Amino acid sequence: MTTMGSTTIEIAINLVKTILVFLMMVQAVPILVWLERRGSAFIQNRFGPNRVGPLGLVQLLADAVKFLKKEDFVPEKGNRFLFYCAPVFAMIPGAIAYMAIPMSVPLVTESYTFLIQGYEINVGIVFILGISSLAAYTILMAGWGSGSKFSLMGALRASAQIISYELALGLAIVGVILLYGTFNLAEMIQSQSGSLNFQGFGYTVAANWLPNWGIFYQPIGALLFFAATFAESNRLPFDLAEGEAELVAGFHTEYGGFKMLMFFIGEYAHMMVASGLMVTFFFGGYSIWNFSPEEVHSWIMNTFSVAPFTANVLNSIIHFLSYTIKFALFLWIFIHVRWTLPRFRYDQLMDLGWKTMLPWALANSILTAAIIFIGSHFTL
Amino acid sequence: MTADAFLFWFLAFVTVVSGLSVILMVNPIYSALSLAMTMIGVAAIFVTLNAYFLAGVQLIVYAGAVMVLFVMVLMLFDLKHEIQAFTRGRLTGAIKIASVGILSGLIVGAVTMGLKTPVVITASSDVAAAPTVDTTRALAENLFIKNVLGFEVLGVMLLVIAVGAVALSRSKGGTHARD
Repeated sequence: MTTMGSTTIEIAINLVKTILVFLMMVQAVPILVWLERRGSAFIQNRFGPNRVGPLGLVQLLADAVKFLKKEDFVPEKGNRFLFYCAPVFAMIPGAIAYMAIPMSVPLVTESYTFLIQGYEINVGIVFILGISSLAAYTILMAGWGSGSKFSLMGALRASAQIISYELALGLAIVGVILLYGTFNLAEMIQSQSGSLNFQGFGYTVAANWLPNWGIFYQPIGALLFFAATFAESNRLPFDLAEGEAELVAGFHTEYGGFKMLMFFIGEYAHMMVASGLMVTFFFGGYSIWNFSPEEVHSWIMNTFSVAPFTANVLNSIIHFLSYTIKFALFLWIFIHVRWTLPRFRYDQLMDLGWKTMLPWALANSILTAAIIFIGSHFTL
Repeated sequence: MTADAFLFWFLAFVTVVSGLSVILMVNPIYSALSLAMTMIGVAAIFVTLNAYFLAGVQLIVYAGAVMVLFVMVLMLFDLKHEIQAFTRGRLTGAIKIASVGILSGLIVGAVTMGLKTPVVITASSDVAAAPTVDTTRALAENLFIKNVLGFEVLGVMLLVIAVGAVALSRSKGGTHARD
């Protein structure tokens, strides 16, 4: 692993990758918005936007133009500086956190290993959690800067919720870290390759028809993690922050036009980080079930009879597709849940976070640690 | 100027400026947000020193949880009363003089220390070797094997403080008194 800023070329490549990943995320947002609106329409037996372009796809362009042309204003009682800062900050944590997720096998040339991820950090998980925990500030800044009671109440609710669920989120991952013995996301994906085999107590139980994914080792952890990410991204059933019957639209009540869109991008960025982490921790990341990257590589070489470098490129593309399919599936689950479940009451939300998910996550990590220790030191 | 030096000076500038604005801002909310910015800056400096784990934990614990709570509490409180209570009075004056003394002592100490020890950094040996060493494992061994007693005692102390704070607020005259 080369360090991030060791040479000028390294710095330049990382800068370009940063911009590319950010653009990728921003470009995915209109598609997700379209999917959300059409999907919700089908779930609720409506049509959704279907007039502009094929399947209503060009509606997004029209929306983007509309957002750009709207009046740019600051509420009279608001705080100008914070009001403008908040939407800009809203996009940053999600984008930086997403860059640490590996999206495909590294592209290896003779002189250079090109990682298909923004940057590799040895403590990937800790870094991602740290960066995405900063999202609470954007909400607080928006709530305070708007100078409106609805915004402030929404912001306080949202940030209290984010802090509460961060604990369960972090503890749910502890089991995963114990299982793989590393903080590094790429190493986690490597240890999920092959078919399922439990090792412990001197025995090995193998199941060749199942992939060696984290979900089979950490089902409770996966469930808790996924539920907590819903709360982290402030989406239904945890979107108390924008309970429209009580708070209009919560912390972004006073926002309109492009600033509003930036909050949207931030929310979708959180969804993407959550989906990417779900795939990485529990569903094998970019790896293809039953085929190791080397097998895919030799298959490409034999089938298409191309040069090794071209095969490397194709290999990366195929694994990227594999990652994208899993990733899109989780994004769809996010959208489907939003239009299926009703909203929690606030006390139910806090009860769930502190009295249910936190103890379960704690028990899960202690149990995992105990089983790993006993399983590796004693035989039956 | 190398990239490392540029990064250091940039981050140091951000950290120091936001640290200064913590005490110079009139609005306590700005102060709290600046303190959060200072912590983010410190975390970024940790990253440049290859202490990734420490940087992540700094972000999660201090910037992500503690300071968010501070900001939330500040937003809920009426601070005019507090400000009035702390602008006049003999005790407040004594605290002010004491903190000025501590600050000047710190500055003098820093300057004399800086003059005394010549800064010798052989960049190649330290910085190049760092990524290969598993710093997280080293940290864990230090905390959980070498100094495990101190670590556990600290944990118990923190628990006692938390329980004590709850007990105080629930007792008579506290903010969450039962009757």
